[in-house]
Amino acid sequence: MPLVDIQNLHVSFPQHEGLVQAVRGMSLTIEAGESVGIVGESGSGKSVTCMAALRLLRHPPSRITADRLSLDGVDMLTASRRDLARVRGKVASMVFQDPMSAFDPVFTIGHQIVETIRAHTDASLSAATDQAVALLDRVRIKTPLSILNSYPHQLSGGMLQRAMIAMALSCRPKILFADEPTTALDVTIQAQILALIKDLQAELGMGLVMVTHDLGVVAETVDRVVVMYGGRVMEEGPVQAIFDDPQHPYTRALLNSIPGRTPGKQRLTEIAGQSPNPANPPAGCPFHPRCTVALPDCATTAPATRQIGPGRTAACWGLT
Amino acid sequence: MLRYIIGRLLSILLTFFVVSLIVFLMMHSVPGGPFDGNDMPVSDAVKAKLNASLGLDKPLYEQYLRYMWGVLHFDFGVPFQSPGETVTELLARAWPPSLILGGSGVLIGAPLGILMGMAAALRRNTWFDYLVSAVSTLGLTIPVFVISMMLIMVFSVWLNWLPAGGWEKPYSWILPITAYAAVPMATYARYTRSAMLDVMTKPFVTVLRAKGLSERRIIFQHVLRNAALPLVTVFLPMFIGTATGSIFVEAMFRVPGLGAYFVSSIELRDYPLEMSLILMITMMFCVAYLISDIVYALLNPRIRFGGKS
Amino acid sequence: MTAPVLELRNLSKTFQLPRKGGWFAGHIDHHAVRDVSLTLPRNTILGLVGESGSGKSTTGLMTMRLMEPTSGRILIDGADITALTPAELKPYRRQMQIVFQDSYSALDPMMTLARIVAEPLHIHGIGRAEEQTEQALAMLDRVGLHRSYGQRYPHELSGGQRQRVAIARALILRPQVLVADEPTSALDVSVKAQIINLLLDLQQEMGLSILFISHDLSVVRSLTDRVAVMFNGRIVETAATETIFSDARHPYTQGLLSAIPVLNPSDRRPRRFLTADEIERGIPRLPGAGPTPALHQVSPGHLVEAVAG
Repeated sequence: MPLVDIQNLHVSFPQHEGLVQAVRGMSLTIEAGESVGIVGESGSGKSVTCMAALRLLRHPPSRITADRLSLDGVDMLTASRRDLARVRGKVASMVFQDPMSAFDPVFTIGHQIVETIRAHTDASLSAATDQAVALLDRVRIKTPLSILNSYPHQLSGGMLQRAMIAMALSCRPKILFADEPTTALDVTIQAQILALIKDLQAELGMGLVMVTHDLGVVAETVDRVVVMYGGRVMEEGPVQAIFDDPQHPYTRALLNSIPGRTPGKQRLTEIAGQSPNPANPPAGCPFHPRCTVALPDCATTAPATRQIGPGRTAACWGLT
Repeated sequence: MLRYIIGRLLSILLTFFVVSLIVFLMMHSVPGGPFDGNDMPVSDAVKAKLNASLGLDKPLYEQYLRYMWGVLHFDFGVPFQSPGETVTELLARAWPPSLILGGSGVLIGAPLGILMGMAAALRRNTWFDYLVSAVSTLGLTIPVFVISMMLIMVFSVWLNWLPAGGWEKPYSWILPITAYAAVPMATYARYTRSAMLDVMTKPFVTVLRAKGLSERRIIFQHVLRNAALPLVTVFLPMFIGTATGSIFVEAMFRVPGLGAYFVSSIELRDYPLEMSLILMITMMFCVAYLISDIVYALLNPRIRFGGKS
Repeated sequence: MTAPVLELRNLSKTFQLPRKGGWFAGHIDHHAVRDVSLTLPRNTILGLVGESGSGKSTTGLMTMRLMEPTSGRILIDGADITALTPAELKPYRRQMQIVFQDSYSALDPMMTLARIVAEPLHIHGIGRAEEQTEQALAMLDRVGLHRSYGQRYPHELSGGQRQRVAIARALILRPQVLVADEPTSALDVSVKAQIINLLLDLQQEMGLSILFISHDLSVVRSLTDRVAVMFNGRIVETAATETIFSDARHPYTQGLLSAIPVLNPSDRRPRRFLTADEIERGIPRLPGAGPTPALHQVSPGHLVEAVAG
């Protein structure tokens, strides 16, 4: 039984410009201990997929349908509130993008870690506090006691992100969803946090879902990559294969548009046009209006996901 | 913190004297005097004598200093309209009904409003939410004397359950207190609802859910505590505002409270009473704001610790 | 050799921050920018690289005279503009424009794009109204937005499109210098490449000189001719862009370079992270350098902060 089992997930929510179709038929399975990167630009549906997996989207107004949506065997679509609360934080945790707004401003960091531990175990206050100290130590915080007694506004972004990771790991989850965990941080802090997440994943043997717009983050941290665009999966495969030999035109274009890959001041290979409007996505393949090798079929019918190699799938009419 | 409180107390003293000066000057810049009324014509000679006996013939600055000197010794003078007692005695007699009326109005209305606002926020966009919105809008827009009249119509005239006025029996307090509670209830319902909804959209609430906390714990420990911050700042000032009496409710229900004296002291140029009432309210508001700022600081670590360290 | 189009000489900015502990505790001096000297030769792009708090944005604002330097001088085309009054500065304002990271808050939501882009022409009284609009539409077209966008409003645009509008507005006066403060940081990967290409094209066509402020060394590598690295308010290394990538000498520059994520999974490597203290202690010791840390030339055009050793 896979740890994460998502089949044909659709998520939409009404907004003033119309019904936003954030995710349109996403499938993803993750085995225990696996690390997977979901890459995409804003509006690709990558974050919404994670939020939907943990059922963190308010429902209504958001509409979630799926053939299957389960975490560690728990059907997240039909789970009661109480069952959802048992899965969250215990089976699957999440680390968010902006550490500055992720903590309740009126409680100390220690309080917020301790309450997480005590929500899932019957540890005493002092036992939970000891665990919190150990956790902060584990995320390489040198002065765990003073951080424990600090309020969020007293700490830097990098320190808060470490504390958020400690909090997410406090109940030894089987899988960690990290939603752009380093986007709000400085370059050198980003590298430290990525190294930390990677090390902890190996130490604890947990699964990891790294959601990011940054292909560099993916290249640094995960084994398998899912490339999303316009609410759909474009391509999926082992990280080395995707970087060495991208098959989908979008993956290729994305890799080519990364600045600084080769020496010298130079124009980049840009992807012309703009991301699709999620309230009014184009018919067919969402990438076809920007695709340089689009076929007539691409504008009418969305291509199915097909096997294109060992452990590799893609959805493209051009790949036959 | 101590330094802050001392600073605030000094500024309260300053406010107190500035207000007293302004009020005193305004009071005396209005033409006429206490004995110029039409219903009791008195000769100029008598008027001059009366004025002299009350010290009103002295230069303004002397009158002011004399009055303020009295105030510093807790001597607020004698009300012209009721010379048989001191201002202090008049307040001791007329304030308790106003205090009971306003105090219970707020103490009943505010918690009710907070509960309504909480429930509305938790059941957003349901019939209950709309009902709360409708009730609180009505509570804020219908003038309080109309509410009083409706209460009298229903409970005194039609049902004949409760007296239409008076203050002798505690059960005659029910209708005026109800009328009084409408505004704090409506205000608090609206404040609480919007404060709760505001907090509930904060990213940290999503994090709390992602940690697996129960919805009850999220609401009662985290959302409420954060939403309480803005509520605290309005509570005490509102309490003071109502505890000084409402002319309308007191008039409608014939409550022998302070409300009527606000009007009569101005109308009758009852300088000592007018000054005393205004200074008393000024003082109470200043202290109320000070206390609510301190409570706010205690609840809010960002202020308690003086920003980022 | 002609004067560089922009020159900063020993620019410093000190902020006074209140010391913790109340009103009378006094201030501490925060040296946001210390003794920064830079030259921007005509028709080149200079990258100013650093992390938050390094002083790079403060330097950009001072260059634009949007913030007053504590000491030092700013020269445009050899003319000292450091002490000019706003009126004297106006002709120079045409020569230098700025683009920010968050273009949404920099665009008036109530104005059409045509008006936004034409506004600098209006302010400087260049041309009649129709000519201004025509120029604005041509400029929009040049930055890749069809003329029909002239009638639209900022909220109708995506982040990349808004950044194009901000660039169009900055360039409509045909300035010599563009200060670009993290203009691509908030953009998606594919859009980022579009904006980088646009800046490269415009630089060529218009003979523009750009001070490109960024934390992103990858972008800087594709876009700039030279790089100056800022750390703790001072420039610690400056060289031709490729020299920085191939031969960085300062520990902070080396740390920044090693923090760039690899773009091939097989290049993953363990990294060592230096603390700020370790960086300060690791300032290169070079023969011929002065007794206190200062920029020292290690090869033509390559300067590194160093001390004698």
